[in-house]
Amino acid sequence: MKKATRSGFRLVALAAVGALALAACGGSDSGDSASGGGEGQKGGTLNVLTLSEQFQHLDPQRNYTGIDLAFTSGFLNRTLTQYKYASGPDGVTLVPDMATDTGTPNEDSTQWSFTLRDGVSFQDGTPVTCADIKYGVSRTFATDVITDGPGYALTMLDIPKDAEGTSVYKGPYNTDATNDAAAFDKAITCSEDGKTITFNLNQAVGDFNYAVTLSAFAPVPKAADTGEKYDDVVVSTGPYKISEYAKGQKLTLVRNENWNQDSDPIRKAYPDKIVVSFALDAAAIDQRIMADSGEDQTAVPLAGAQPENLAAIFAAEDPRFSERSVDASDPYVRYYAINTEKVPNEKQRWAIAAATNRAELLQIRGGNFAGTLADGAISPTLGAAFAPTGLWDTLLGQKIPDTGDPEYAKKLIAESGEAMPELTYQFPNNPVDEKMAASLQSSLGKAGIKVKLQGIEPGEYYGIVMDPSKAEGLLRSGWASDWPNASTVIPPLFGKGEAFNLGLVNDPAYDAKVAEAKAISDPATQAKAWADLNVEAMKHAWIVPTVFGKTQYVWGSKVGGAFMWDAYGSLPYGNLWVNQ
Amino acid sequence: MTLLIEPSAAPEPDDVSVPASRPAEVAGRSLRQLAWTRLRRDKGAMVAMGILIFITLVAIFTPWICNALGVDPYTFDGTAVDPALGSLPNGPWSGASWEHPLGVEPLTGRDLLARLLYGARVSLFIAIVSVIITAVVGTVVGIVAGYRGGKWDTVIGRTTDLLLAFPQILMLIALSGVLTQRIEAFGLSTENARITYLILVFSFFGWPYLARLIRGQVLSLREREFVEAAIATGAPTRRILFKEILPNLWAPLIVYTTISLPTIIAAEATLSYLGVGIVEPTPSLGKILADSVRFFTVVPSYLFIPGTVLVIVVFSFNLLGDSVRDALDPRASRL
Repeated sequence: MKKATRSGFRLVALAAVGALALAACGGSDSGDSASGGGEGQKGGTLNVLTLSEQFQHLDPQRNYTGIDLAFTSGFLNRTLTQYKYASGPDGVTLVPDMATDTGTPNEDSTQWSFTLRDGVSFQDGTPVTCADIKYGVSRTFATDVITDGPGYALTMLDIPKDAEGTSVYKGPYNTDATNDAAAFDKAITCSEDGKTITFNLNQAVGDFNYAVTLSAFAPVPKAADTGEKYDDVVVSTGPYKISEYAKGQKLTLVRNENWNQDSDPIRKAYPDKIVVSFALDAAAIDQRIMADSGEDQTAVPLAGAQPENLAAIFAAEDPRFSERSVDASDPYVRYYAINTEKVPNEKQRWAIAAATNRAELLQIRGGNFAGTLADGAISPTLGAAFAPTGLWDTLLGQKIPDTGDPEYAKKLIAESGEAMPELTYQFPNNPVDEKMAASLQSSLGKAGIKVKLQGIEPGEYYGIVMDPSKAEGLLRSGWASDWPNASTVIPPLFGKGEAFNLGLVNDPAYDAKVAEAKAISDPATQAKAWADLNVEAMKHAWIVPTVFGKTQYVWGSKVGGAFMWDAYGSLPYGNLWVNQ
Repeated sequence: MTLLIEPSAAPEPDDVSVPASRPAEVAGRSLRQLAWTRLRRDKGAMVAMGILIFITLVAIFTPWICNALGVDPYTFDGTAVDPALGSLPNGPWSGASWEHPLGVEPLTGRDLLARLLYGARVSLFIAIVSVIITAVVGTVVGIVAGYRGGKWDTVIGRTTDLLLAFPQILMLIALSGVLTQRIEAFGLSTENARITYLILVFSFFGWPYLARLIRGQVLSLREREFVEAAIATGAPTRRILFKEILPNLWAPLIVYTTISLPTIIAAEATLSYLGVGIVEPTPSLGKILADSVRFFTVVPSYLFIPGTVLVIVVFSFNLLGDSVRDALDPRASRL
């Protein structure tokens, strides 16, 4: 889940990876169990095709991209709990993985305990103990080395903060006397026999057992930890291990002899070998899988199908593809953030939202295949926390048509009492996003809002827009929850100082309400609180939501066990087999 | 390629040995006239020239043509694409209709004819301006190096060597972001900044080739009798350069420009294809081609039509360039 990253398109020489949907999740209905049926078979080689040059990160503590998590959780990294391999809503059901159950909270959910199964081991046969998980989590605190990963350990574990608000514990590599390792030892405790791990939290977290599905809570053997370099040589706890990793070429996974089927209720480990081919042309990946010849019959993609091929695969109801493709909602909300430091005037932000031709943006993303028009930051796939916000009906003062209302926007600008600043729209440079940028420029232009376009190399995109000194007025983005709770949506998007608060929202009153909502232990009440905060965020027009996304996948005819796995909005990589 | 256009000594009109039936103008043509005559006999060159004149006129009058046809390159048309097909155009041939004669761009529904016309206009503008700058700079530098010689020649010679040694395409890609931002800082719009950037870059890397060519010509010209005669009669340097030497450089100049124009058009297409040339929403031939490649299996005409236009333009320029060179070169064999 996490931030919407790549997918997309690759121009001939430059890897112009774009931001079209990547992952997909959510209520799928069309063809979801198509080839999920049949009996799993052992043996064979599963081929995985991707346009990326490499995985963003294999290092469990740094891995935070939906697709990468879906891949590594199936083959290399086991965690205390994990999601079930199932199509439809069942795909976000929590099941125990390394732990014997899905965790035991104390009365107020500030302390969570998990007991490890017998027979769980690293690829060298050493049993995984509580100390290994504890060491793995400790790495997240070394924020100078272990970058890009989720920060839940930092924000949730009960470790004192210093005057600057950073944790007093600085991770296992820091040898300063000031580094308070004792505080960390108190936050995570192990039982005598090393079988039970207890997390002490600084707040009530009713669904902490979902947080530990992230590989940031996976074990790392201290002896094998090479810091930054661990990314390329991860020690497996799953059914496979790395035999060869050549970035830009391929990654080969072979069976991990020390993985014990009895200790693993989730993974079936069907293929003998998994080969990931990197740096392929996005169009070529689709063409190869659609043509379905030779080795490509056992191929699956890491990203969704390209928009130009969707009509051929889905609209034509071609029998060649009906058994090996899926078209379903994904958990991403596509939006663009309005930088509140550049546009502090709320009426002007309303004007920007009102002028946006959302129907046109949806059309350029791919019409019916792109999804539906969005009205908030919380996706319908989140269930209870989703409720229509009424953004386009009442929140902006009057009903705004899907095609935007430039006249009303002009009126709002006049009411704002200030001149509209000239704005720059930043977007990752890929063929679809640049056309959406042109559409936005033209629709805002009709309301007299001047917008300059700034396309950014996709690999550098988030690095630039997440840097307040480089972020411009309008910033294209996408976000999905980390687990099925809007506590992983509203706070990271609108909380002061949060990394993904692209609009640099700074509203103490709102932050206070967020803190209150976080503390609510009843799931239904909390969901309602998130829904209300969603409405409030829309009323301030901190972001302009555009699309609730959809994603499409196609795979080779000899691949079994494929469906849209809602947990990560991807194929269930660890569940796939090869029909002989 | 050394050509001399010497003051033509008109033949004696009262030469009685000339048969009355022989056409009189045979004797009285300058080399330029001869070249023109040869060029006119070259059917391929004439067709190419016709096409180029037509395309140039269309490029100049694009806004009026588009107005008359009621098409616009920047208007998104949601009714021309089908949401059920992932926003591919309605109907075959990119959804061609009376409203959109060549159909529309997939996803956006922008009119393809209008984008093609405006795109050709942008591409031609970049190529022509770049060639003019290259020609002026290259000629001046070449003449200085060749005529003054000595230190001037050494400095200019090494400078051109240095520029020619640069890996052009790599530089273009690496510098495009920074440089266009610098240019925008002067108050130009993104569109104009991109166009300026391309023109600057093509000119910057283009002139050394021409300067070397011109220098070589000037080196040999300045030793010729008519130049020496001019010097001997005390003609000022300006007169020698402009009246004696420059007229003899027209031939290589014309050949150079006709051949480098298509090269620049193709280079612009390549750069826009790589994403460092023209950017949205401005069309150019290269940009349209870059966009269309992904769709070639589903909307073939989207790639085919702009591709054909690019090929015709480049081919016509090359054909004309070759013919002009043949026509100007008295030693070239004419079959």
